[in-house]
Amino acid sequence: MKMKKTDIGVVAFMYAVCAFFYVYSFDLSESSKSYPIFTIVLLFGLTTLYLIQMIIAAKKYGVESGADKVFAGFLPKQFILSLVLTIVYFFLIKYLGFFTATTLFMIASFIYLKVPVLHSVIALVSMDLLIYLAFVLFLGVRLPAGILI
Amino acid sequence: MLETLQLMGQGFISALSILNLLAMIGGVALGIVIGCLPGLSAAMGVALMLPLTFTMPADTGLIVLGAIYCGAIFGGSISAILIHTPGTPASAATAIEGYQMTLNGQAGKALATACWSSFWGGLLSCISLYFFAPMLAQLALKFMSAEKFWLGIFGLTIIAGVSSKSIVKGLMSGALGLIISTIGLDPIDGTKRFMFGQAFLAEGINTTCALIGLFSMSQVFILAEKEIKKRAKAAKFSDKIALTKAERKKIRPTIIRSWIIGNIIGILPGAGASIACFMGYNSAKQFSKSKEEFGHGAIEGVAGSESANNAVTGGSLIPMLTLGIPGESVTAVLMGGLIIQGLAPGPELFTKHAAMTYTFFAGFVLVQFFMLAIGMIGCRGFAQISRLSDAILIPCVTVLCVIGSYAIHKNMSDVVVMLIFGALGYLMRKFDLNTAAVAKRACGAHSVSAMGT
Repeated sequence: MKMKKTDIGVVAFMYAVCAFFYVYSFDLSESSKSYPIFTIVLLFGLTTLYLIQMIIAAKKYGVESGADKVFAGFLPKQFILSLVLTIVYFFLIKYLGFFTATTLFMIASFIYLKVPVLHSVIALVSMDLLIYLAFVLFLGVRLPAGILI
Repeated sequence: MLETLQLMGQGFISALSILNLLAMIGGVALGIVIGCLPGLSAAMGVALMLPLTFTMPADTGLIVLGAIYCGAIFGGSISAILIHTPGTPASAATAIEGYQMTLNGQAGKALATACWSSFWGGLLSCISLYFFAPMLAQLALKFMSAEKFWLGIFGLTIIAGVSSKSIVKGLMSGALGLIISTIGLDPIDGTKRFMFGQAFLAEGINTTCALIGLFSMSQVFILAEKEIKKRAKAAKFSDKIALTKAERKKIRPTIIRSWIIGNIIGILPGAGASIACFMGYNSAKQFSKSKEEFGHGAIEGVAGSESANNAVTGGSLIPMLTLGIPGESVTAVLMGGLIIQGLAPGPELFTKHAAMTYTFFAGFVLVQFFMLAIGMIGCRGFAQISRLSDAILIPCVTVLCVIGSYAIHKNMSDVVVMLIFGALGYLMRKFDLNTAAVAKRACGAHSVSAMGT
């Protein structure tokens, strides 16, 4: 099997995780750092093993992008907008309250994803009702209240 | 022996309480809805429902999660039969013969076969759950710290190694989970480890948030990156959702064969319902007296696949409940459900918490009957739900992920953790890493405590 270029990202990510936790482990006492160091060394070793496998595969069978499979059918605009909407929704909860932020988030998503109005209204009302019944009434969760509700 | 029989009887009495019966009906119905929606998975459904089980008694909470699991595995067959799109990977083989039966005007018969076979597959799998789980638990009782540690290592390697495309990548996922599990106060001397000044990390990464992120939020990202296609209209059918006596007799040997296959696959960590359905289908084809029907709508093909995938459910609970080794994603999430209730998987479930465990087992048996009834009665309605667009699911599931993770401690920090794990889960799935291995290690640090003692 050919080496996939996308796996370089995987290896880099794992090494970054090892480096990050290793640096933070300096602050730990000797007794409490032994297990974290063991796990870091384990991940480092396995990542290195995978890197060696990648190099052998590259030498034996060549290199392929791998991106065509990983990103097959990927719509960057839609994905990024959905991500941005989720992040904005998260911040809006703090300021507008849960129900207002949820309603705005869902309306914005439905408009962007071109959901018919009737379906949007049914989904919106059902979700608000479900959350109210399940979380507020049943679980007794006090949802974040913002400046509006 | 007598004590076990007594526990079994008591389990049934407890499982028949009004609350538990309602939990079964609700869980099965919800599971079928989740299962018949292509794009949503059983693991995702169980993860999303975890926060709702907090306030329930442990047995009821587990029954709800078990009901969702069984319902979702069966529910996948509805969309597989009617729109040729398996609701879950576990029904991929059902689509082959099931959709052909729909084209032949036998959709009702196909759905009835799926219901009937799923029911028997699930019900028979409970036999092994009742008999093998306590036996294995007895053995696990003899384990000391060293055995527990090596069991942890075995669990990590088997899940990561068997269920991943690359063994090393699977092991890397497990090791990443181990690193994440070190966040929080050191269980031995209480030293703060990798808390980055955040007090909410003192108890480590919240299990529910991690599971919702890894299995549910990551699925939202997966759905959001692809073109939203209009789902095919569910085929209308006029034939009755029923099987004749002769048809039931015809599929009986297939159901029994597939039950054995599904059960063994379920018990083996790393394999799962998606593999079992194809093995069940292949064995049905191999042993069929009317092989020529295969590919043109063979009733035995549907029975073979559906019986096998549902037989996985009971089997897969055995290593999870007795040894703390979840065989697949759903059982990894179910294990999270146990941990949330303050219960550790292992032999204690069959000694100290035996009453709860046997109530759950009895509930699991009864769930199969509800699945049969709800499936038979509600097939037509569920078929319409399977057309629900991803455009509606994306914001709805996002909201459920946010509220689910917030509800645990009523803290927005948990939502941040969920979002981080969502992004991590998404990237891991894109690059063929194993989310179940991370979940297992990050959430349950069996070997960690064993190693420290």
